[in-house]
Amino acid sequence: MTLVAPSGDTAPPAVHSPWPGLIRGTFATAACLAALAAMMIDLKMAPETLLSGSSKLGRFIASMVPPSDGGDSLRILRSLAETFAMAVAGTALAIVAALPLGLLGAKTVVSNGLLHFLFRRCLDIFRGVPALVWALIFISAFGLGPFAGVVALAFADIPNLAKLFAETLENCDRGPVEGARASGVSKILEIRFGLVPQVAPVLASQCLYYLESNFRHAAVLGIVGAGGIGFELDERIRIFAFDQVAFIVLLYMLCVAALDFVSRQLRARLA
Amino acid sequence: MLELKDLSKRFGDTLAVDGVTLSVGRGELVGVIGRSGSGKSTLLRLINRLAEPTDGSVAWDGAPIKGLSGKGLRRWRHSCAMIFQQFNLSPRLDVLTNVLVGVAAKRPLWTSMIKFFPASDRARAVLELDTLDMASAALQRAGTLSGGQQQRVAIARALMQDPSIILADEPVASLDPVNAEVVMGALQRACRERDIPVLVSLHSLDIARRYCTRIVAMAKGRVVFDGPPSALTQTIVDQIYAGRNNRPSLIEDEATMEVAAA
Amino acid sequence: MSAGPNSVVETFELARRRGLRRQWLQSGLGLLVFSLILGVSFQRSQLFSSEIGGDPLGRIGEFLVRMTPSLHGEVLFESRSTPGSLASWYYDLPVWLAAIWQTIEMAIIATVLGSLGAVVASLLCASNLMPWRPVRFIVRRSLEVTRTMPDLVLALILVAAFGVGPLPGVITLSISTMGGLGKLFAEINEEVDPRQLEALDAAGAGTLNKIRYGVFPQVLPAYASYGLLRLEGNLAAAGALGIVGAGGIGLELQRAITYTEYNTYLAILILMVSMIFLIDLLSETIRHRLIRLDEGGQ
Repeated sequence: MTLVAPSGDTAPPAVHSPWPGLIRGTFATAACLAALAAMMIDLKMAPETLLSGSSKLGRFIASMVPPSDGGDSLRILRSLAETFAMAVAGTALAIVAALPLGLLGAKTVVSNGLLHFLFRRCLDIFRGVPALVWALIFISAFGLGPFAGVVALAFADIPNLAKLFAETLENCDRGPVEGARASGVSKILEIRFGLVPQVAPVLASQCLYYLESNFRHAAVLGIVGAGGIGFELDERIRIFAFDQVAFIVLLYMLCVAALDFVSRQLRARLA
Repeated sequence: MLELKDLSKRFGDTLAVDGVTLSVGRGELVGVIGRSGSGKSTLLRLINRLAEPTDGSVAWDGAPIKGLSGKGLRRWRHSCAMIFQQFNLSPRLDVLTNVLVGVAAKRPLWTSMIKFFPASDRARAVLELDTLDMASAALQRAGTLSGGQQQRVAIARALMQDPSIILADEPVASLDPVNAEVVMGALQRACRERDIPVLVSLHSLDIARRYCTRIVAMAKGRVVFDGPPSALTQTIVDQIYAGRNNRPSLIEDEATMEVAAA
Repeated sequence: MSAGPNSVVETFELARRRGLRRQWLQSGLGLLVFSLILGVSFQRSQLFSSEIGGDPLGRIGEFLVRMTPSLHGEVLFESRSTPGSLASWYYDLPVWLAAIWQTIEMAIIATVLGSLGAVVASLLCASNLMPWRPVRFIVRRSLEVTRTMPDLVLALILVAAFGVGPLPGVITLSISTMGGLGKLFAEINEEVDPRQLEALDAAGAGTLNKIRYGVFPQVLPAYASYGLLRLEGNLAAAGALGIVGAGGIGLELQRAITYTEYNTYLAILILMVSMIFLIDLLSETIRHRLIRLDEGGQ
């Protein structure tokens, strides 16, 4: 190879010599692996804890079959319904709050660049807070029960939905609005005929998507005491009733799949 | 009678429209031609105030347009229908509603909000569509139609406004030849039957020559020619499209090619 | 057009009425179902229930007020022992920073392990690389299951098995990362340019060599970009997992709540949010650079 390669300065780096690159690559990989190992040690991820835990986990999994409803299927179904209710109520609250915020966040509505930037950054910051973190504090404030969960879901969604709404408004076509304006209609009718028909289906489809994801989030909020199916799961995991856990999880997955299906159908019709 | 006097529009450093003085009478079909960027679109948009003039005045039958605002401005826009290159229909609304937007300004707000229009309006809209051969599509979503069909719907909307003047901004630039003929024919008919002025900005010199009763050519925001199509000689055309003071254009304009072929 | 104007209008009105009737029926039914679901949901979730005192907005407001720390401008930069200073609000900062670091470590390890798992799984379920259908089917289904399984439920079970600490959190996140990325990676794998694979086939390369020289060079930038995106998500998730005992900053949040120290909760929340925000910014810049590299390279 060195025979064929042209002399030093004109040679493209790949042809030059493979060694420095290879060494650098190996070195970088080794450094990354070392860093990863250091982190694992820092987190006390020792093999023996992994092993003992795994055998325990194996016993848990073994006790999952056959799944059983524990003679309480009615209660389980009711709490599933409650979880769905939380998701719907949380999504609805979030939509109501996010609509005006989205309007304010759209560059086409608030044209001041600095204001727009600050507002959007603000939304970005709150987008990072997961629903569970909100739930924890709302339960402490409002007591156990689905209400805290609903508010937590809404709080977690508002910045996300507001950002989506704002982007939808920014991306809409100005043509229809101008068309209506040229016919001499008032501002409200410009929005009614030019903007709403464009934006409404997109917003509706985004809301459906958030309903889906809220159903997943709502299920876990019960773990910190916000009612619903999460509460039932938490109770059963604490008493190691894993056959019932398996039953609830399977049922829940079925519901998720069903909701996804319905929502996909609806969204396809909106498109 | 539409009168423009010393009309100007400045965007930043450039004068898009530079001191245009023009008067257009009833029954005139005026083709506004010129290279892209010569200010023809802006000129039309200054008339119905989709763009605010920087200087000069627009008057309709002696009444000034410039000071209008609020309801007065909306009434002026209503009587001065506009047709756009990209149709500017609401693609998700049905064709009928799109046409009825043309009368929405004259109906009570709340009925328009729920898209309710009296049966007489509906009947008129259907008849307007029928003359453009579009009645059968009245209940379809506008977005499902082809470009030519959408432009016909846009014309029906414009005619619903009972306009006393029609502005058409490159109405045939994105259409195939057959639809372009239909659309130009409809504008010509509206101009003759209603005896109103129609201003059409056009890309193609050939169409302008065949349909218009008068041609106004613009270059760099100024009117450089104003007269009947027959007076538009080859020298003038060269002057408009090549531009004496410009460096020669690298892009072959469609219109110049047509003229060269003729 | 031979028909008179009246018949045109009549035909239209007939069609319109037929359409309207269907529309009314549909939207009426839809509205009914929708309002029923909404009403029952609001009722079930006790949103306006008098049991908890009603007035939800007022209660949220009152609570937000309780969350704000009482800071005094004149003693803002005094030591920890002065009430009203920033230091007294953030009284346990070193511990919290350590917990944040732990959360970051959890997220990084889980993203790396999960991505490795996802790479293997995606190779097993890409139709252009894995000839056996049953294997593809099984891998795909298991990925789907891991995606539907709420990670907190998994975390709860794993905490029960491995005890309180970061380990169950890391395992949970690795599994859910594998589920999420596995699907994405498989889609990327299936869009690989087949000509390069054919060229390697022609050269007599084995499957592993085909993957190493035919697939990886094409897909790695996209993998890395999605992996970074996932890292952002995992950070927030790792923060939340601590709440059920899986280590990291969530444990500190849980502790603050147990002692009803609402303004401490806010303090930790601000730390957590700024951490997520900073890492988002960092990973966004890296992702943009990756995308540019990808476009430049091809």
